[in-house]
Amino acid sequence: MDETVAEYIRRTVLKIPRDEIKTMLQKWGFLSEAQLQTINFHQIKDNISQDVVQLCEENSADIKQAAVLDIIYNHIYPNKRVWSVYQMNKTGEEMDFFDLTEFKKKFKRQLRSALKNVTINFREYEDNAVWIRIAWGTPYRKPNQYKTSYVVYHSQTPYVFVSASVLKSNLPLLCQALVVASNYCDIREMELRSHSLNSLKDIVFKRYSQNFQTYYPRPLEERNVAPENEDLRIIQENRNEKERVQRVNRQIFGDGPQPKLEFAQYKLETMFKSDPKMDVLDKKEPFRCLVKFSSPHLLESLKSLAPAGMADAPLSPLLTCIPQKARNYFKIREKKGLFPGSFVSP
Amino acid sequence: GVLAHLELLEAQAHEAAVKQEEREQQEEKLARLKARVQELRLQRDELRAKVDLQQKGEPGKEGAVPNLAQPTARAVIEWKIRSIKAMLQVFYLTGISGKLTKQGVCFCISTAYEGTYLDSYYLDLLTKPEVQIYRHSVPVFIPLHQIAKKYLQTDIRRFLSVLSDHLNAYVGRRHQVDQLQEHFSDQIEGTLQRNSLCNLLVFNYNVSSTSKTFPFNVRLLYGDLCHSLPTEVTISCTPDAPASLAETAAAHSDLFRRVGLHKAFRSFSGAAGSVA
Repeated sequence: MDETVAEYIRRTVLKIPRDEIKTMLQKWGFLSEAQLQTINFHQIKDNISQDVVQLCEENSADIKQAAVLDIIYNHIYPNKRVWSVYQMNKTGEEMDFFDLTEFKKKFKRQLRSALKNVTINFREYEDNAVWIRIAWGTPYRKPNQYKTSYVVYHSQTPYVFVSASVLKSNLPLLCQALVVASNYCDIREMELRSHSLNSLKDIVFKRYSQNFQTYYPRPLEERNVAPENEDLRIIQENRNEKERVQRVNRQIFGDGPQPKLEFAQYKLETMFKSDPKMDVLDKKEPFRCLVKFSSPHLLESLKSLAPAGMADAPLSPLLTCIPQKARNYFKIREKKGLFPGSFVSP
Repeated sequence: GVLAHLELLEAQAHEAAVKQEEREQQEEKLARLKARVQELRLQRDELRAKVDLQQKGEPGKEGAVPNLAQPTARAVIEWKIRSIKAMLQVFYLTGISGKLTKQGVCFCISTAYEGTYLDSYYLDLLTKPEVQIYRHSVPVFIPLHQIAKKYLQTDIRRFLSVLSDHLNAYVGRRHQVDQLQEHFSDQIEGTLQRNSLCNLLVFNYNVSSTSKTFPFNVRLLYGDLCHSLPTEVTISCTPDAPASLAETAAAHSDLFRRVGLHKAFRSFSGAAGSVA
């Protein structure tokens, strides 16, 4: 077995939390159950990974199998990478019968025609998602297995989720291969980025809870339930206002959990509005600044702002439009024309 | 020491305060109940007076049947609410229901396949300045914008009908595949290749003939997105399969074209080993 492959497998196993190693190796299926029984999974990870490499040596693992283990790891822990979303366009209206074998063939052919030194692996999952792992080389060097890009594509959708590596120069090649393989015409990057792949999917596939008004009765109407251990000495002076805030918040954010985003960035190119007497800026040019909101879970924290009393309800549409506009990077310019104020660029 | 003594005093004060509060609550409750008793007594007297009047045969000012007027009004309102709820439920069950909103209409398309209710999809439409889709929960692989471009402005009924057909057919196809994978996984060899729209399925399944099993490879193409039955069925078997299986392949191919996948498989296992 190639030493580089052995080292790669060793390092991949080291990344996995110790309690998960056995399950992941079972999912991989490269080592037999009997072989797995011979490993002591309670020793330190260094030793476990050495044992695994030993067994892989016996089975003569090659880079393709090692790559599959890497895909499995990234599929279970996708939040360790940053994902961007790309949108594809097609002009024709023909129906697409997405054939997976055709897709894989076209993708490999297109990518390899531009760059021979690449390792390409595919893995399909139950939810119609294809995971593609690409390890990039150069025209003169073999693929570097530690510089990988991941692509997740759901068939017959115009969205592709990409976790690129440092080699940004390879992105155009990747984009072209995707467009050709999926029968689309062009592709562009959306202004949407996050660590949480599933939340990005929720946003573009519209799987998050949008509060649609319907007549169909909801299963749980808990609006008028009074808290049980209410202290009779505390009087709620502004109960009406509290209820209004709850209602408005629910209308905007819906009832379910919000997609998980870590930040929203607003690039302002608007004029600084100050008292003309103060004359803060000599030249009348846009005051450039960048406003960035960060949070472990941005949308949930925005949802809790108004009920916590920290902001007025309804919140600014610049914040609440994030899932619907499917973007968390904004450029705000001065609106030229009748109405003064800011204007969000498309 | 002093602190212990202070604690003791504090505890006593707390106890006293709690007792005081309890007492006050009791008194309040008592006062409320007394007031209620008064109320009820007054009501009882009123009713007694009314009954007396009736028995004396005098047509009272309140009318011939005074006491039944109030319950009747309430009963009528309750009946109205029940019938409206039932009507809305009926609309929901027909598959397309809507509600007027401030800016337009919100439609709900509920899908079903052969008696099983499946997912519901929503469309929030604006009606001014022209009819447009504000937001929706339709899956991204359904050609919503194509359908909207054709019909939304001109014929909204047709738009809803076409969209409903697409959605119902999609969930029907998906339901068939899910049922197949759930109940007949033992007959399927390897992985079942599918896609988001469930309009192309490729898989291998086992057919038994003279105590041996042979794998059939089937490719189902659903050319019409508004239908849940395939338009093209291709079945192939391995070269070493007996010639008689060609007939079976043709029969299966015909069956797949006519009935749902899971039903077809149910009939295979029902007529187990029925191949000559």
